[in-house]
Amino acid sequence: MIKDITIGQYFPGNSVIHRLDPRLKIVLIFAYIVAIFFCKNFQSIGLMLLLLFVTVLLSRISLKLIGKSLKPILIIILITSLLQIIYNKNGEVLLEYWKIKITTGGVYTAVFTTIRIAALVLASSMLTYTTSPTMLTDAIERLFSPLKIFNINVHSIAMMMTIALRFIPTLIEEVDKIMSAQKSRGADFESGNLAKRGKALIPIFIPLFINSFRRAYELAFAMECRCYRGGEGRTRLRQMKMALRDYLAFLITTASIAGIFVLNHFFAAVI
Amino acid sequence: MSLIKTENLSYVYSQGSPFQVTALDNISITIEKGEFIGIIGHTGSGKSTLVQHLNGILKPTSGKVFFEGTDIFKDRQTTKNVRFKVGLCFQYPEYQLFENTVYDDIAFGPKNMGLSKDEIDEYVLEAASFVGIKKELLKKSPFELSGGEKRRAAIAGVIAMKPEVLILDEPTAGLDPKGRKRIERMIADYRQATESTVIIVSHSMEDIARTVGKVLVMNHGKAEMFAGVDEVFSKIERLPEIGLDVPSITRIMLRLRSLGYDVRTDIYTVEQAKDELLFLLKERGVL
Ligand SMILES: Nc1ncnc2c1ncn2[C@@H]1O[C@H](COP(=O)(O)OP(=O)(O)OP(=O)(O)O)[C@@H](O)[C@H]1O
Ligand SMILES: [Mg+2]
Repeated sequence: MIKDITIGQYFPGNSVIHRLDPRLKIVLIFAYIVAIFFCKNFQSIGLMLLLLFVTVLLSRISLKLIGKSLKPILIIILITSLLQIIYNKNGEVLLEYWKIKITTGGVYTAVFTTIRIAALVLASSMLTYTTSPTMLTDAIERLFSPLKIFNINVHSIAMMMTIALRFIPTLIEEVDKIMSAQKSRGADFESGNLAKRGKALIPIFIPLFINSFRRAYELAFAMECRCYRGGEGRTRLRQMKMALRDYLAFLITTASIAGIFVLNHFFAAVI
Repeated sequence: MSLIKTENLSYVYSQGSPFQVTALDNISITIEKGEFIGIIGHTGSGKSTLVQHLNGILKPTSGKVFFEGTDIFKDRQTTKNVRFKVGLCFQYPEYQLFENTVYDDIAFGPKNMGLSKDEIDEYVLEAASFVGIKKELLKKSPFELSGGEKRRAAIAGVIAMKPEVLILDEPTAGLDPKGRKRIERMIADYRQATESTVIIVSHSMEDIARTVGKVLVMNHGKAEMFAGVDEVFSKIERLPEIGLDVPSITRIMLRLRSLGYDVRTDIYTVEQAKDELLFLLKERGVL
């Protein structure tokens, strides 16, 4: 079911990772993702994986769930690895069969690509798993607030993002309800050719759009009734302040990233 | 052979995730042809979840559902056919209206059944007249209707498939007393004319006690009682415990009894109460 998708979901909790300053979390995870691509040998990428593993453990999110979040990208990983193994001709030849030549270079690149994609998805999942959507957009708004000097309305964009994120589960639930109601009247979404299946979506999308527009109006009224008038002069209930744990997280991450360059220097590069 | 039968039916939402909810817990009930059944229970007791199993929209986590003796999940064709035989009208009509005109919307079910144009026309007009939708309304867009009219159009969309069993999930929720009466009368007429089995889901004992023959009381996903209206009312003290209101007329009788008058308390209509009070007055020689 569509409900089982976990990417972008938030799992409430009270772990150290949950309580980190969301601005810092965004910056660190961004730095982490960039750093993965600088790893040149198994020692340095091992260090990065260790860092990710510790973060996952600290967040207390079940490993089963983490495994589930990687499932959707399995195909992408398989295809890219396969292409690397077939087309990369660097290094020693391991196996030669007809036109296909498998080399150490190809295998190493495949392994590295796999690790990189998995770490990238996992790291960004960790951000949404442990940060509530409101905190996340709040943090984005603050990180990008310097753009105000270019006359970009950062607040509105952040507010739109919050609302969009907030309504994803609602929309999924609604699609579920509409599909059930139409199935009760004999609608068939599972058989027939492409054109027929496309047409079968009309009875889902029309009620969905109409309900969404109605809800958008209602939400706008409700916000105005509570005196919402944009970002100007708005104060916040939760002030973001860096704490000791934030400085520690910053230190550990920067040290690990520095570690990559040290390890890259002392051990031979494999890709 | 019973018409609908559930066997140890259980259903869990989002199984295996942190948000897991057991909505139905081991429900075994039997419904006979022609019965008029009310399902009541507090919010979240599993009423809507239960009725969605009866026409194969939800698949049991464990247990079975039978229609005329066949497992409705035997294969896909069986499930599809059951949806035409067991018509389910959902709690809120805004989830199903979508066509350009009310007429086309009511025709959606019959069209899916693969009927001819003439048959569709006949079925639609008949369903519309059952729910009291006038000819002019049929040409309107379903989104221009009032809430009560929308509800009736949605019900017509299900009735138009001429199902053997009609299930209505809270058909009167959010309507004024007149709209409620109208739908109640419409259901009664429909039952009389077609002799079909009807199941109504409701929050309120008051609403359904007057009309139905048998009541299924749901409590936290379990079938608390499944018996005739009189029998359910004879255990009236249980109702508040499971979050249900006792009809006001019954409350009056309970209060009279606690004040020392010897009246029956398994009473749920004003008519019954009148008879009982007249009887009491005669007995005491007042009349
Ligand atoms: N789509 C869903 N996903 C997860 N949980 C659900 C879903 N639908 C219902 N539930 C849960 O299942 C339980 C039973 O819900 P159900 O809708 O069957 O109750 P109900 O008796 O119809 O309530 P109401 O009188 O409010 O309509 C509730 O605890 C509800 O929170
Ligand atoms: Mg319900």
